[in-house]
Amino acid sequence: MRRLLIIGLSLTCAIVFPASRAGASNSAASSLHGTVTFWNAYSPDEQKVIETQVIPAFEKKYPGVSVKNLTIPYNGMFDKLITAAAGGTGPDVVRSDIIWVPQLANINALQPLDKYSWFPSVQKQVFKGNLFTNYFKGHYYGLPLDTNTRVLFYSKPMFKAAGISGAPATTQQFAADCAKIKAALGSGKYCYAEGGFGGWNLLPWIWTYGGSLTNKSYTKASGYMNSKATLAAVNFLLSLYKKGELSPNILGGGIGTWDGFGKEYAMILDGPWTVAGLLNNQYPSSTYGAALVPKGPGGSHSVVGGEDIVMMRQSRNKAADAAFVQFMLSKQAQTMMGKIGQMPVLASLVRSSAFPGYYSVFQKQLKTAEPRTPSPAWARIDDVFSTTLENVFRGNAPTSTALNSAAHTIDGLLK
Amino acid sequence: MRSQTLESPEPAVGQLAAIPGQTRKRRQLRLRRLLPIYLFILPATAIFLTWTIYPLADALVMSFYHWNLLTPSVFVGLNNYQRALSDPIFWQALRNGVMYTVISVPGQMVLGLAAALLLDQQIRFRAFFRTLYYLPVITSWVVVSLTFLYLYNGQVGPINYLLHDVLHIIPSYIFFLGDPNTALPSIATVNIWKGIGWTAVIYLAGLQSIPQEVYEAAMVDGAGRWQRFMKITIPLLRPTVLFLVVMLVIGSFNTFIQVYIMTNGGPLHSTETVLTYMYRNAFSSLDLGYGAAISYLFTLMLFVITMTEIRLLRRRYEY
Repeated sequence: MRRLLIIGLSLTCAIVFPASRAGASNSAASSLHGTVTFWNAYSPDEQKVIETQVIPAFEKKYPGVSVKNLTIPYNGMFDKLITAAAGGTGPDVVRSDIIWVPQLANINALQPLDKYSWFPSVQKQVFKGNLFTNYFKGHYYGLPLDTNTRVLFYSKPMFKAAGISGAPATTQQFAADCAKIKAALGSGKYCYAEGGFGGWNLLPWIWTYGGSLTNKSYTKASGYMNSKATLAAVNFLLSLYKKGELSPNILGGGIGTWDGFGKEYAMILDGPWTVAGLLNNQYPSSTYGAALVPKGPGGSHSVVGGEDIVMMRQSRNKAADAAFVQFMLSKQAQTMMGKIGQMPVLASLVRSSAFPGYYSVFQKQLKTAEPRTPSPAWARIDDVFSTTLENVFRGNAPTSTALNSAAHTIDGLLK
Repeated sequence: MRSQTLESPEPAVGQLAAIPGQTRKRRQLRLRRLLPIYLFILPATAIFLTWTIYPLADALVMSFYHWNLLTPSVFVGLNNYQRALSDPIFWQALRNGVMYTVISVPGQMVLGLAAALLLDQQIRFRAFFRTLYYLPVITSWVVVSLTFLYLYNGQVGPINYLLHDVLHIIPSYIFFLGDPNTALPSIATVNIWKGIGWTAVIYLAGLQSIPQEVYEAAMVDGAGRWQRFMKITIPLLRPTVLFLVVMLVIGSFNTFIQVYIMTNGGPLHSTETVLTYMYRNAFSSLDLGYGAAISYLFTLMLFVITMTEIRLLRRRYEY
């Protein structure tokens, strides 16, 4: 009898306590009310998933909260965000490019998240490298939302026509393959194409050659921007351009990398959206391969990209915002977006079978990918970097003179 | 029998002035007459003051501060102005504005006059041709810029195809928008194409204001077509030309959309205009005080240029 009583009591506790905890969390979820305005720059496919799957799932969990989604083209998003914030009509939560976070934090636009009690538990789950993109002057102003990097996409038909069997593994092999492609495919076809001279475009090659833009603490450019390794990287790309192997589109006014890949361009560096957006949607019959950035004297390096999720300081419903931020970093939301090309930032999802197979090359590249300089002055630093390299390519300045001058200028911007 | 009292009409203002102690009455009468007028113009004035004058005044104040929109502003005096005057990109943008004006304004003036002379003739489907010439004017600059971005493409653009593959005029394809030497003239050419219709319409109005009798008198005196054009049409179009020069110069210095979309000031600031540079400083670099200082310096310069044009070109003609 006594035994039955104990078993009965235990069973009752096992049922009642979880239910009451669920009830408590359910009542916490149902106690939240209001609207969360969410701004992002998702592609049309990604926008469809966020609006038809992720947001409805969140609203089901938090029936009193509605999410107003606004997808804005990337090019105009930063300007629109700043002017809206200044006018007091800004959003509550933003999917921000990682390079904007220091600038937004510097002008007091963002709510620091590390003061919230839930932050440590979420912090533990995300990749450390991506988390660092949210760090500014002692606080974390956001959390990583999705990550990406650039890998080498190559056109199999163009390679076959040039007698090349697979992706180049080293920069020397890359140069040799470029010569073969030019010889085999003739004028109007290029081995490689880049969209411009920005850090996003050319830093992978500089790091791969062992060079860098600044020191590890991002306080000094002299000795790094104008190092021998950086000089070697720039001269490598310049030689490809002079030989007609790197598309003149890099100077502007030509065919974009997406428009020309597989037709005019045999190789490009690009991110996971290329597969979902371009190759599966626009040119599904293209045959292509994806490989790591060819290894140079400094190894195989690419650039860390991705977006962070941030809360705006002027938001009036921070409790609801916080709930949305946490939901976006849940396994459920990360998996939904992960299937459409938004690589997840949760360490627990690295080996998930739910994601496309091509993620593996990006995840491997991410292990050696480097971030761009996390500085509020990044826009100006990037402008100096790209103007310098453009002047070199146009023959307006010798490479070493140009890099010396740029290093000195960037030193001033890093102060 | 009731006596009829006729109300005397209100005395004229002048009459009241002659009557001692009637100043207040005069003032009341004047106010009664003017009040409805002021009430009618009040809404437009309020809108003008709120949305034009106030932002202008605020921008002037802003130009003496360092401000990034969200943090408190810091007074810097004339620092922003000194910075602009010693900024090589600011001067580059001004030079680009002058170059752009030198290309696009004469182009629009000459071709617009030619179009107006043709459209002033009594021809069949004249209304259709006038509409056709005006269509580019009313087409959005965004649409036009994106279209020409494709037309000017240095690898697959139709203009290159026409000039190289069909007409064999150029030895190789030209990166119109990727070459610092051709980018600005290429954008200025688009401006000419888009502006011909507008200048033609203004010229048409000017042409139609010239009395036919003047031409008839000249014909009687034996003046040929070219003589009538040079001695009558051109001189009597002077007010129209002055108006067009002033408006087109202001317009070309204020170029923004087509540069922003087609080249964003590149390559290497060769198409940078004062407005694109101001916009980038204000909204990309979040340096609004500096952007405001640039805008005021630019306004001052444009004012001097405009007044100079008016002084040089203004002359009365009587006929």
